Amino acid sequence: MAHISRRSVLQGMGAGVAALAAAGPLFNANKAFAAREKELNILCWEGYNSAQVLDPFRSQTGATVKAESLTNDPTMINRLRAGEINTWDLINVNNPWARKVMLPEKLIKPLPKAEFEPFFETMLPMFKPPYKWAMSEDGAELIGMAQRFGPYSYVVNTDKISRKTAEDTGWDLFNDPALAGKYGILESDDWNVFNIFIIAGIDPFKVHTPDEMATFEETAKKVFKGAKLIGDIASMNQALISGEIDLHMTGGTYSVSPARADGHPNLRGITPLKGPLPGGKGGIAWIEITSTVNNPNLSPLALDFLKYVQAPDVAHKVAFAEGTFNPVSQMGNKACFDLFTKDELDAIQWDSLQEEMDRSAEYDIVPDYDKALDLMNAAKRLRG
Amino acid sequence: MADLAIASPSEAAAESAAQLRRGRMLSVGARCALPVAILLGIGFLAPLVAIFGYAFATPRSFDVFASFTLANFATLFDTSNTVWLSFFWSCGLALLTVAILAVVAYPIAYGLNLVFGRWSALISVLFVFPLFVSENVRLYGWVLFFIKSGVLDGTLKWLGLPGGPEVLYTPGITLFGMVYTYLPFMLFPMTLGLALVPRDLVDAARDLGAGRLFIWREIELPLAMPGILIGMLLTFVLAIGATAEAKILGGQSIIVISHDIEIAFTYSQNWPLGSALAVVVTFFIGALTLFALSKLDLDRMLGRR
Repeated sequence: MAHISRRSVLQGMGAGVAALAAAGPLFNANKAFAAREKELNILCWEGYNSAQVLDPFRSQTGATVKAESLTNDPTMINRLRAGEINTWDLINVNNPWARKVMLPEKLIKPLPKAEFEPFFETMLPMFKPPYKWAMSEDGAELIGMAQRFGPYSYVVNTDKISRKTAEDTGWDLFNDPALAGKYGILESDDWNVFNIFIIAGIDPFKVHTPDEMATFEETAKKVFKGAKLIGDIASMNQALISGEIDLHMTGGTYSVSPARADGHPNLRGITPLKGPLPGGKGGIAWIEITSTVNNPNLSPLALDFLKYVQAPDVAHKVAFAEGTFNPVSQMGNKACFDLFTKDELDAIQWDSLQEEMDRSAEYDIVPDYDKALDLMNAAKRLRG
Repeated sequence: MADLAIASPSEAAAESAAQLRRGRMLSVGARCALPVAILLGIGFLAPLVAIFGYAFATPRSFDVFASFTLANFATLFDTSNTVWLSFFWSCGLALLTVAILAVVAYPIAYGLNLVFGRWSALISVLFVFPLFVSENVRLYGWVLFFIKSGVLDGTLKWLGLPGGPEVLYTPGITLFGMVYTYLPFMLFPMTLGLALVPRDLVDAARDLGAGRLFIWREIELPLAMPGILIGMLLTFVLAIGATAEAKILGGQSIIVISHDIEIAFTYSQNWPLGSALAVVVTFFIGALTLFALSKLDLDRMLGRR
């Protein structure tokens, strides 16, 4: 969604006219550069496209900043593959894509390491440099900046299922016939593929045997058949609050924090104590990495924006951008952490954040995702 | 005179050149239609051509117009593919929506023409008014109405009654949502259709001793049929592509065909398969519409020939 206010358009127009006047004699020589120096296009998850984050940057730079939010990584990456590499300056996706897909495919370009690596020093301890997901596979290049992150497994209404029961039982909650018809499934299909594998007792992030795929298919049919509803974050939170459902699959701080901030602390993202992931882990966590697109005419503002969002006050705004509230890596900096109120820390489950991250594997790419997704979509159709 | 004599040949030449230019140029009508033609070319035909091109591209690729394969259609028509279920639900719900709306909208259309009198305009506005509000917002409104502890359930409990029925997240509520959403699209063509029935004919039939049912069956219904059929066609075409009702009210208790197309373009990132599905659905609806229109001879129905 592009957020362009009348003010920003007028500012942009004014700045454009001024730039034209100033660069008049050199216009032809610097045409390409002049065309992008007051323009920045960001492809991102929701939050970075909010006016709270973008408007101060627009005011500071007089630039026209457009941000479009999408709700899954492959769609964003395919936009670049389909030829929009000339359009976008920054892309903000989950951790593995930059390092494993976008850099090898030359969809993004490295950042000036000396300029940006020091920012990681002040982040939370898990982001200490060299931070794996921000680096190229060979560890030589810095390819993105980390900011928002969070555990993302399932959400329960603790008035109906206690936190302890939910953590101890783990993903078997969704194998329990007694809970059929009492849970929802968030419409976040890449994550649902991970979770169906985990419910089936299989590590999602590996190549699967035909037997494992058959188990996945059976589990998908059972889990989707037993779901009361499938829907977006708002529908899940509404159904939890009203009592239509007691828990929902695929969820965590990112999805439940708005409801918690709205006075429903009984709703809680849960990371199970155990599971089939490496190290016996049961949860999955995501970390967003923002990279500069390999745009032949990259806006010089792209790097400025990456620095801008590191500032404590802006990082706090990013954490509490409209729609979803999340921890940010910059909370390792006291100046940033102090900006968070007690209610805000409660909303993002700061009390259990570290232990939940420790119990979570990091989001990764499922090698046979396409096949698993087709099986899951077929299972969904059998709901009716 | 000398000037005139000199000027004449050049004027004649200029005139003949102008005639030639006019001959080569488009007619006035064609020139006036040019902006619309360009707009349709860019806004309507171009996306259709792109979708058509993608339908024959290598699965899960972006090789549009650079590859040709029937693999996407083979996948769709594979017997193990359950996409027919989505197609079945979309067609079934669209047919049911049309049938229910025909019964519901007819009395209202009749009332708007003959019963409500000077209130007709106001009542028409009331039916049009919801169209000014986004469909999703209206559907979320219904969720708040039907949800546990929502408007209906809460009010009934407040009155000491057992509470509202559990209707959300079912195929039934999806059908309700579709009937609600598409009511105006059936109602107004039907109202126009009924307005075409000359009252003199009805009066004459009554004078000759025809009963109410006979008049309705032999005069009103056939003469109002153009409006009724157009309403049915319009509603069916819109309803078969409906997604929001099944998602928001129905909680995806069923997957409709347009949702399957959406999944192919988003999470699956299989644009060629999504395009092939869109092409199949478009051809199905197109064929059905052309068939209906071939049976629906408006000129004959309106008595113009």
